[in-house]
Amino acid sequence: MPNEYFKTISPALDAYAVPDYGNAAAGQGETSVPWTDRLILGLLMLAVLGVSLFFLSKQSLRLDEAQSIWQASHTAQGVLHTIAEDVTLPLYPLLLHFWIFMFGDGVGMLRLMSLLFFLATIPAIYFLGLLAYDRRVGLAAAAFTAVSPFLNWYGNEIRTYSLMVLLAVLNHFYFLSVYKRSRAASGAKQAAWWLGYALTGLLGVYTHYLFWFLLLSQALFFLFYRRRFPAGTFWGLALTAIALLAALAPWAYYVFVLIKQISNSEPMLLRPHLIDLFNVFSQFLFGFQDDHLNTLIIALWPLAVVMAFLSLRKKIKIPPESVYFFIATFFPILAIFALSVTVRPIFLSRYLIFSVPSLYLFLIWLISTYPKFLKHAAEWAVIAGMAIMLAVQIYKPDTPVKEDYRGVSAYLSQNTNPQDIVVISSPFTIYPIEYYYAGTANMVTLPIWDRAAVGAIPPFSQQELLSDAGQIQMAHQKAYLVLSYDQGYQKNIKDYFDSHFPLLSRQNFSPGLNVYVYDLQNKYGAGKKS
Amino acid sequence: MPPTPPEPHQLESSFLKSTTPKALVTVAVAMAVVYFLVLAFLFPRGNQVLFWLLMAGEIFHIWQIATYVYTVWDQPAGGAPYRPVSGGAPALPADVFITVTGEPTEVVEATARAALRMNYPAGFNVYLLNDGKIAKKPNWREAESLAKRLGIACITRQKPGGAKAGNINHALRLTRNPLVVVFDADQMPRPDFLKKSAAYFSDPEVGFVQSPQYYKNFNTNEITRGAWEQQELFFGPICKGKNRLNSAFLCGTNMAIRRAALEQAGGMFEKSIAEDFLTSLFLHERGWKSIYIPEILAEGLAPEDFLSYYKQQFRWARGSLEMVFRYNPLLRRGLTWHQKIQYLASASYYLSGLVVLLNALLPLVFFFTGQVPLIVSTMGLTAIFLPYIFLVILTLRLTSNYSYTFRALSFSMASFPIHIQALWAVLTNQNSGFSVTAKKKLDGNFLYLSAPHLLYIAAALLGMEWGYLRDGLTAPLLTNMSWALFNIMVFLPFVFASGPWAETARQQGENQPGLKYAEPASESVFKLKDG
Repeated sequence: MPNEYFKTISPALDAYAVPDYGNAAAGQGETSVPWTDRLILGLLMLAVLGVSLFFLSKQSLRLDEAQSIWQASHTAQGVLHTIAEDVTLPLYPLLLHFWIFMFGDGVGMLRLMSLLFFLATIPAIYFLGLLAYDRRVGLAAAAFTAVSPFLNWYGNEIRTYSLMVLLAVLNHFYFLSVYKRSRAASGAKQAAWWLGYALTGLLGVYTHYLFWFLLLSQALFFLFYRRRFPAGTFWGLALTAIALLAALAPWAYYVFVLIKQISNSEPMLLRPHLIDLFNVFSQFLFGFQDDHLNTLIIALWPLAVVMAFLSLRKKIKIPPESVYFFIATFFPILAIFALSVTVRPIFLSRYLIFSVPSLYLFLIWLISTYPKFLKHAAEWAVIAGMAIMLAVQIYKPDTPVKEDYRGVSAYLSQNTNPQDIVVISSPFTIYPIEYYYAGTANMVTLPIWDRAAVGAIPPFSQQELLSDAGQIQMAHQKAYLVLSYDQGYQKNIKDYFDSHFPLLSRQNFSPGLNVYVYDLQNKYGAGKKS
Repeated sequence: MPPTPPEPHQLESSFLKSTTPKALVTVAVAMAVVYFLVLAFLFPRGNQVLFWLLMAGEIFHIWQIATYVYTVWDQPAGGAPYRPVSGGAPALPADVFITVTGEPTEVVEATARAALRMNYPAGFNVYLLNDGKIAKKPNWREAESLAKRLGIACITRQKPGGAKAGNINHALRLTRNPLVVVFDADQMPRPDFLKKSAAYFSDPEVGFVQSPQYYKNFNTNEITRGAWEQQELFFGPICKGKNRLNSAFLCGTNMAIRRAALEQAGGMFEKSIAEDFLTSLFLHERGWKSIYIPEILAEGLAPEDFLSYYKQQFRWARGSLEMVFRYNPLLRRGLTWHQKIQYLASASYYLSGLVVLLNALLPLVFFFTGQVPLIVSTMGLTAIFLPYIFLVILTLRLTSNYSYTFRALSFSMASFPIHIQALWAVLTNQNSGFSVTAKKKLDGNFLYLSAPHLLYIAAALLGMEWGYLRDGLTAPLLTNMSWALFNIMVFLPFVFASGPWAETARQQGENQPGLKYAEPASESVFKLKDG
């Protein structure tokens, strides 16, 4: 007998009213952007621009940046050649090449290109948050992005990473558009989303090899949720994958068949430890901090347990979008960590930067499940924490990623004379030094590297060191030994100089960047030091 | 006057639609074991006493996780396949007992009227089992007047003894229908309660049938919400799992029992304040089957004030721990291994108070002494602990169909003083008088019941300062501060619910029938008598 006294009214009760992100319709209806949101986005972009103009863009050129400039300074064909030797991908260097052609090679101007990609990421992630959840999440994601010390850092670096983040966000956007909106959309719109997805995927895989892991995350998500996708998605994804592989084939052919030559200019990476895994998350949220501060940040890890437990709320299901962002964050990081431990070390937080937007969106969703007061408090606490760490990252001179090659060059320009010699190791660190260097002493690298000659940087050997050092010593009064980016032989070089020549002075410019001055005219007797 | 139907209201039943993702829960258990092994063997030990206490706590956690997963392993989706056997014995006439001990007459009347409205062709009689007189309740005569008015029988006990179980046993001797149904005074049955419950007795081996104890006032305040959200986990996945293992137990109300089975077990067990739990054990020992129906067939009231909640929890903890120490199911004959483990798992839950206290004290010990159970210098333990705990949370979410909440967790964990008091009462053989959960709100400030938590918060804050002055801002200090903060966050909803402000927070239940009463709290928390 139907019971009229006890009607079952199943929707969420008022007391538990929360955004129903699992609802397929969520995030679909909001197409227009309120003026308040436009204003907030504008202010966030303005703030990022200000931080860049007043602080970040004024920093010294760093090694990677100098390498980018050097690569992009060739002819277009030369760019492709040097990039192929470096076994990296050509999209960013080519863009930088044409940027230099149009705007010159001033550091500030070159960093502006990365900054533009970063600035574009702010509205892009807003729209991604809007699509996946709602405008509140979109705004929070934009705020997280704008104050992120990690993204600000790479938003002001002459490297590919801010482009990679932007492409990741756009790629997420088109993928989720296909997932969420295709059923109710016209054929033209669907085609546009597929095209956008394929195009951002193509640009992504031409930006960084590890971008493939983002695409693999999407495949994994599709595997779990294939029934929720519109019909034909499998073939769409399969065709896109084939198209991307086909589009990358010419480059692979060029690199591995035509060039065959590897430049040996990649920084040496060590096998990662578990602490590196935690460092990645710490850096994604709070940027690059000195060891002590970073250790303290990581020591707060039980707060992650608090955050997870607080998300235990009635009827708040985990929407597919959150599963997607979870996979897009953790699958690449864990897979690349595993590969780095077992096969070859490629685990660097900047290589994984494409996981940052999905991490932020996942975190914001998690926080959005809290009761109202707690939600606002947690959001603001994270934003405030990130902003403070951004300031610390900017102001502290011993921020680990800071490389004061400008300071080194100024010091060398001021203190050296034509009878001295500047000895630089690792060899590729010559790029940022020579960018600023205006001194009269000659510069040489150890191992000695003839950049005009075709081929890779010569590998280090103890025997070559003796021979190279002998050449360097001849007819010079002082050697200014500049050591940074240890490639595994820095100690050998330092030991050699310490055991053969009196050390006159030592100067530290930034973490891991030191200049040692040796008196070449007063060589020790053999066996002074071993 | 024609009976007034209760107001339709929002029925919260999603907890009954729980399912279990087997792959996930398997990984969760595996991670729990890996975490334990790493904890036990991979790191140098610090303070030996702390280490072994930590180990004991972790073994208990593994027991809880493993038995939970074992219980909920195969939950039928949507509560569908609980069907009575067809073509069995004809439906049995029933005696419906409504136990009354001075509850407001309006509450009792609503329940009695709802009982009378039950649709059951085999026939039934409704009785008010009035213990108001022996409990010296001023309104005890009202039950008799009410019975007269409704044309039902009222059995008023003249001699005390056996509390609620004694009341039921007394009525058993005066009635004769082969089926006995028991409702608390506030549990209003749906018209189809009897039809659905009695159908299972067509199987002659079925001894009793239990259905959820639903709190229709669950959204009244923090206390009712916390109480209900704890119930959802129990009456959802856990009871469904117990039914699968023929281990469902009586919960004191909304239960139908075969008279023959009950008589064989010697009636309701009178020597424990958890008479329902132990009676189930004795019925199972004698080979009777049990059924849990995952469907709301009656609606009642959660305790609305903190004192009533506290007393209810103490009664449950006390009775359950009695089973562990005096009627240990592992040592009893006649039970299947499923039943032994299920009874022990449910009863031993109340030992968790000790583990909660121990884990909460570890950061304080560090603050004040610098002592730690393990010397951990890498992130290895964290790298295992985090996925383990996240999987446990996910398991709780999914297996409860997203009904388990932080508040429920808070109420469970923060009840550690209750559990420890109950444990002490059992170990020292104190008798705790049976105290019926109040069906009306007791006004007052019960913050004193959260004194252990407030003390903890104060000690933690002091300890943080102490540790900082001793060590400076170090990583171990920050990690322990984070754990202390975790405990504080867990205790806060409980503390909040105990304060006077909780009474005024969201009094949504004011307009519900039977929820308007308030009288000053005049009872002590427990009626403890020497054994």
